[in-house]
This record gives sequence, C-alpha cells and structure tokens, in this order.
Amino acid sequence: MNIRYWLHLYFVLIRSSIRSGMQYKMNFLLGTFLAAGIQIAEFLMIAIVLNKFGAVKGWSLYEVGYLFAVMTLSKALYRSFANDVHHLENYLTSGDLDQLLTRPVPVLLALMSQNFRMMPGELLQGGFILTWALHGMMQAGQITWIAVPFTFLVILTGAVILFAIGLTTATAGFWLTRINELQTLTEDASQTAVRYPLVLYPVWLRSILLVVIPVGFVNYVPSLFILRGELGAWVLLGIVLVAAVCLFASMKLWTFGMSRYQSTGS
Amino acid sequence: MLYFSLASKAYARNLQYRGAHMLHNVASALFGYLYACIWIGIGQDRPLGEYGVHGMIGYIAFTQASLWISGFTTNGLGIPQSVRTGQISLDLMRPVHLFVHLMCREWGQIAYQFVYKSVPIYLLYVLVFSLSLPQQVTTLLLALAGLAAAAYLSICMNYIIGATALWTTESSWLYWMNHALINLLAGFFIPVEWLPRWLQTVSWLSPYPYLLYVPTRIYLGFEDAYRLLGSLVWCVLMTLACLGVTAVVRRKVEVQGG
Repeated sequence: MNIRYWLHLYFVLIRSSIRSGMQYKMNFLLGTFLAAGIQIAEFLMIAIVLNKFGAVKGWSLYEVGYLFAVMTLSKALYRSFANDVHHLENYLTSGDLDQLLTRPVPVLLALMSQNFRMMPGELLQGGFILTWALHGMMQAGQITWIAVPFTFLVILTGAVILFAIGLTTATAGFWLTRINELQTLTEDASQTAVRYPLVLYPVWLRSILLVVIPVGFVNYVPSLFILRGELGAWVLLGIVLVAAVCLFASMKLWTFGMSRYQSTGS
Repeated sequence: MLYFSLASKAYARNLQYRGAHMLHNVASALFGYLYACIWIGIGQDRPLGEYGVHGMIGYIAFTQASLWISGFTTNGLGIPQSVRTGQISLDLMRPVHLFVHLMCREWGQIAYQFVYKSVPIYLLYVLVFSLSLPQQVTTLLLALAGLAAAAYLSICMNYIIGATALWTTESSWLYWMNHALINLLAGFFIPVEWLPRWLQTVSWLSPYPYLLYVPTRIYLGFEDAYRLLGSLVWCVLMTLACLGVTAVVRRKVEVQGG
C-alpha cells in the first residue's frame, strides 16, 4: 500500500462525499452564491476605506487586494481538502471519532475525506480579486508575468501552512476536547489579521503572527518579494521550507495526540 | 411570567460556560484591536473627519463590543435545528406564539452576552486605549435604548432567516450573509457617511444602520435622541414582518427527521 494507493482512495472517498452533498442542489447553489457575496462584502469593507483615504502605511489597494486574495485562495484550498479537520471537536464530543478508528484507513485520511466542500464561491471571488490586483500592478509596471507562477506556488504553500496550523489546533482537542475558542484565535483571528499588511500592527503582534502562529508566511512574507522585490528570491525557497517543517511537525504532533485519545460521548 | 422564565433559563444555561466564553472574549477583543490598528495606520498621515484617530478607536471599540448584542444572535433563533429534528411541529403546537417564544429565549441569550461579553470587552478597550466614558447619564441611557432596539431588530432578522429553513432546511448561509452585510452596511468598520453614495442610500433604506451605527453615534455624542425614532419605526415594521412570516410558516411546515 503505497502513496498512490492512498491518494486514489482519498479521491474515491472525496467523490462520494461530493455526490452525497449534491443531493441538496438548492443548498449547494445558494451556498455558492452567498459565499461569493460574503467575500465581496468583506473585501469591499477595506477597499472602500483605501479608496477613500489612499494607501495605508505604504501599501496600495492592489497590494492589500493581493494579500486578501492569496489568503482567501489558500484557505479555500485547505478547507476544501480537509474540512473536518477544522470540525474535529464535533467528532470528539459526540464520540464519532470511534467510528473512524474502526475503518481500515488512517484516521486523518478518513477525517479529511468526510464532508468534502467544494468552495466555488471563495475560489471565484479570490480568483477575481487576485486577477484584478495582479493586472493593476502589471499595468503600473510594479510586477511582471513571473509574479503569476510565484503566486500559484505561494497559494499552495499557504494552504499547507494553514493546514498545519489547523491540524495542530485540532490535535490540542485530544487533551482539551473543546477547541472552538482556541480555533477562533489560531485560525479565524490570525487569518483575518494577515489579510492586511503586518506593518500595521505593533511588534509583539507581528512576532506572534510570524513565530507562534506562522500565518504571516502564507501571504505577507512572500508578497514582500513578489510585489516589492524586497528580501530576495531565497524567500520563496524559505517559504517552501517553512511549509514543509510546519507540515512535518503537525503530523508528528497529530500521531502523538492520537495515541492519547480517550473516547467520550454517550 | 412564562416569558420571563424562558429568558432567564436561556441566561442560566449560558452561565455554565462562563470560563470558555471569557477565553473567547480575548479572541473577540483581538478582532477589534486589529481593526483599531488599521485605523491608527490610516490616520497616521491624515485626519479622520469629525472623529479623529482617537475617536475612531472609540468608535471601533463600541461597535466591536455591541456586536455581541446585535450581531451574534443565535443562527435563525434555532429554527433550522428544530426543522431538521422535526421539533418545529411541536414548537408550533405550543400555546405560545412561535415568534414570542423564540424571542423571549433570545432575550435571555442577549442579556447574557451583554453582561459577560460586551461589557468586559468594552472595559478592556477602555483600559488599553484609554477611552473616556460619556459625561452625561442621558447619553448612556439613550445609547442603551438604541442597543435594545438593535437587539430586537436582530432577533426579528434572525427569525426571518430561520424561517427560510422550512423551505431550504439550511439557513446558515443567509446567517453569514446577514453578518457580512452588518459588517458593511451597519457601520461596523466604516462609519456609514464614508461609504460611497449609492451604498449609503442602500444602507439607509435598510434597518442595518440601526444595529450598530446609530447606537454608536449616540454613545459618542454625535447624534440626538430623535435618531431613535428610526429605530422605533423599523422595530414596528420588522414585528409585522415576523408575524406575517409566522402565518405562512404555519401552513408550510413539513415534518422531517426522526
């Protein structure tokens, strides 16, 4: 049973998950439409302010749009492929994780293939803002076409980093059982924070967002090089390395957490 | 008396989770802090209208704390959940009007959130940002009246959102859409007068400004009591809408689940 076998199995499970979700077509369509609307409203919030007041601490509307879009797309990738890692609490409190333990597949794989969510609303909206931002900056001569493949790489590594953070938070559930409050800090608040340039925040908060919860590496650090030519090309290699280390560490922690799992529920 | 005990039970149920909620308050306060940092950044080189940088921080602090009164109401007042389990048929059979029953329960929830979320979060901001409190008691009372109307409007909006679950079984998307509209149109992050003109028109044609913007402006001393008339009109309109929706729901209900 090699990696190809597991990947094949994963996609089979995802396909059946999509089929079960598609039984509720009205929900799917409404969800897609409204998800895009929510994203637009959230971006409008900052776009209106920047449009009215101009750049914020040297970051233009296009640049902030880029940060926003990369975060949206990375998050959409992470949540599409590993939705129920984020919802582990439900499995822990109801005792449903026991069911997954009896399956002849690794628990993480079983968890990741549950309730697969295509997120077309987020992908469309993120893609639209990204195209608009990249196009605007290319017109102004700030970046060249090479930024496009770099951006794809960054979206992928970003999804890996977000997955690692999500998995680490979920792992804490093996000890804490309830993790919703923790997730609000490590996932929701931190992801919202880095939609805007980190220079806005005081040093202590910036350090947390780069070291403790390395969410700053999803979009802010790579954009320093891709958009502004700061730091150097080594940054991209560094980001790949950060993503790999985060993934490795979170997987190790997950394995350890699983060994400490105690069933709950009725 | 029944109505009061519905509310007090909802309040008491929440008391069990005080510890976890306090941790959650830290995260919630952090969100407001992020938004305040953005305004500090923007206000560094330019004046921020009649508010000024410190005024904008006070504005964000108040809207963030008020979000627990008029923003984070229970998704659809719990109707989607009872549609899925079939409980809705029993709820409709009770000798209490469905809207009044759910509204009273939600008032208990909001009262809890006011005491254990809004107040601690706002006090934290007062300390961190050295905010000053209103000089006159009347300002405070008017702001509280504005917030009470906002809470009621939010209950009505969530009742209507919840009622759609009878057709779609799922209304969480509408709930989040409503939340996004609160962020944009209720003056949560941007005061309504700074929105583009067309969006201002849309905003004032909706009840959204009365959820956050109006109570905040009253609290900061920028508005008089007459603004509350708008809140009152919307409360009446939304009540009529909720009663109308209930009449339709009574004919629509299908028992699912089991």
